[in-house]
Amino acid sequence: MGGLDPLRQPHAVRKRINLIAGGERMVYARMTGRENLWYFGQLYDIPTKVLKPRIEELLALVGLTNAAATRVEQYSRGMTQRLSIARGLINDPDYLLLDEPTLGLDAPIARDLRRVVAGLAERGKGVLLTSHYLAEVEQLCEHVYVIGDGRHLAAGSPAELMAQTGCHRTVRVTVTNLSPQIEAAVRAFDSRVRLAPGGVIELNHPDDLTGALTTAIIEAGGALGGLEIVEPSLEDAILALSDRSLKVVA
Amino acid sequence: MKVMRAEALKQHRQIFGSKLVLFSMLVWPLLKLAETYYTLRPLAATPGIAERWPLAADPERLLAFLATGALGFTFFFSLVQSAWHFSFERQTGTLELLFLSPANRLVVVIANGFAALVQNAWLFACFAVAMFTLLDVVNVAHPAMYAVVFLAMLVPAVAWGAFLNSLLIFSRDAAFLYTLLDDPMWFASGVRLPVFALPGWIRAVGSVLPLTGSLAVVRGALLDGQGLGDLAGELAGLAVLSGALLLAAVVALRLGEARAQRTGQLRLF
Repeated sequence: MGGLDPLRQPHAVRKRINLIAGGERMVYARMTGRENLWYFGQLYDIPTKVLKPRIEELLALVGLTNAAATRVEQYSRGMTQRLSIARGLINDPDYLLLDEPTLGLDAPIARDLRRVVAGLAERGKGVLLTSHYLAEVEQLCEHVYVIGDGRHLAAGSPAELMAQTGCHRTVRVTVTNLSPQIEAAVRAFDSRVRLAPGGVIELNHPDDLTGALTTAIIEAGGALGGLEIVEPSLEDAILALSDRSLKVVA
Repeated sequence: MKVMRAEALKQHRQIFGSKLVLFSMLVWPLLKLAETYYTLRPLAATPGIAERWPLAADPERLLAFLATGALGFTFFFSLVQSAWHFSFERQTGTLELLFLSPANRLVVVIANGFAALVQNAWLFACFAVAMFTLLDVVNVAHPAMYAVVFLAMLVPAVAWGAFLNSLLIFSRDAAFLYTLLDDPMWFASGVRLPVFALPGWIRAVGSVLPLTGSLAVVRGALLDGQGLGDLAGELAGLAVLSGALLLAAVVALRLGEARAQRTGQLRLF
């Protein structure tokens, strides 16, 4: 980790890492928000001159400045989780472990946390995110490890995983006057074309064939009633990897 | 020192912040002291008691004997309570964070015990000092013996606390120690009866409890006017026992942390 051996140099490694986990645990309920941050600052041996402004900065970052002197037991769930985020950043870690960090958070706060995490990554921090929220993983992560039943199933960027699992853009065209001639034309266009009820023609293909497909339909006498393009998601890739319950580590 | 200050604040907020804690700090020890005193006081009327246990024949000296015992017990049992509270950090998830931080584990468990000791014992200690003064039973060979008495309770108690903390934070099932070290420690260490009056096997159990040695030093120095030379054996025994407890704490922390890394059990509660 950063040129350090965690087994031989655990102390040096611990100074450079921290953890943010979801839920309401991992802070002291009878201490105030500011006292919690101060307590953990002492464990990380942060000099007082550095610690005091950092505590205020972190409280502002997570929107708890006004509640800094309130006992944590009086916080809402979201406030407790935000304090946990500030606590995880108290030692300005080079590597941050995030375990379901947005679990139970309101949507705006979860969005703010994702912004913070993205900002940390931009500043060169290493972030290891464990999450079941695949949209979050897709948004934040450059490299994804897929774990299912305790086994490593696949790894790669979200785009690479989608490509590996055959998840491509889907073009869905609704034809108002579907006829045997049009059906024959689109089947001849590409073997991956699928005909769905309601005059819907679907094509899942690694290349963008939207223009070519609609042209083929029109040339066969078809009238377009609708056109929908569905981009693949990481969730599609994960579902394709396994039907079993999966854990995604990114 | 930073970890010590941090633990002191945490203990104060988490345990000692409430006014009701006065009950466990003063009222409860006082009730136990009164119960013991009034149970043993009729012994003074027993024929021949002055030959077998001279203290028992003098109600004021008997009370001083029992008060020193209660003071010593308050010191040591506060650390049992502290270790019990520490074990709850597994449930709050903060135990994982303590072990993820670079703070020295032995320093954390010592600081936790020391902070609990100071905050739990100061009130009863003040009461005991006031009582000894009022009873006029103190017989000290040299003023420096007060420092010896203080250290003879503090050092073994802190080592005892570190040992208990190191056991309780790794074992979810070690809470039975809380029960085991309550009345049995009170009895085997000679808190309310002189050790010579106890059966041999109980004396053997008491000899491995640091409270026994601490009480021997405290009573010898404060009530019997013994000096350093008289108490050298007890003090050496306490030093060895304290060292052994700290060593055992280090070993327990290393083994416990290695096991926790292997099994991930710190997340379980």
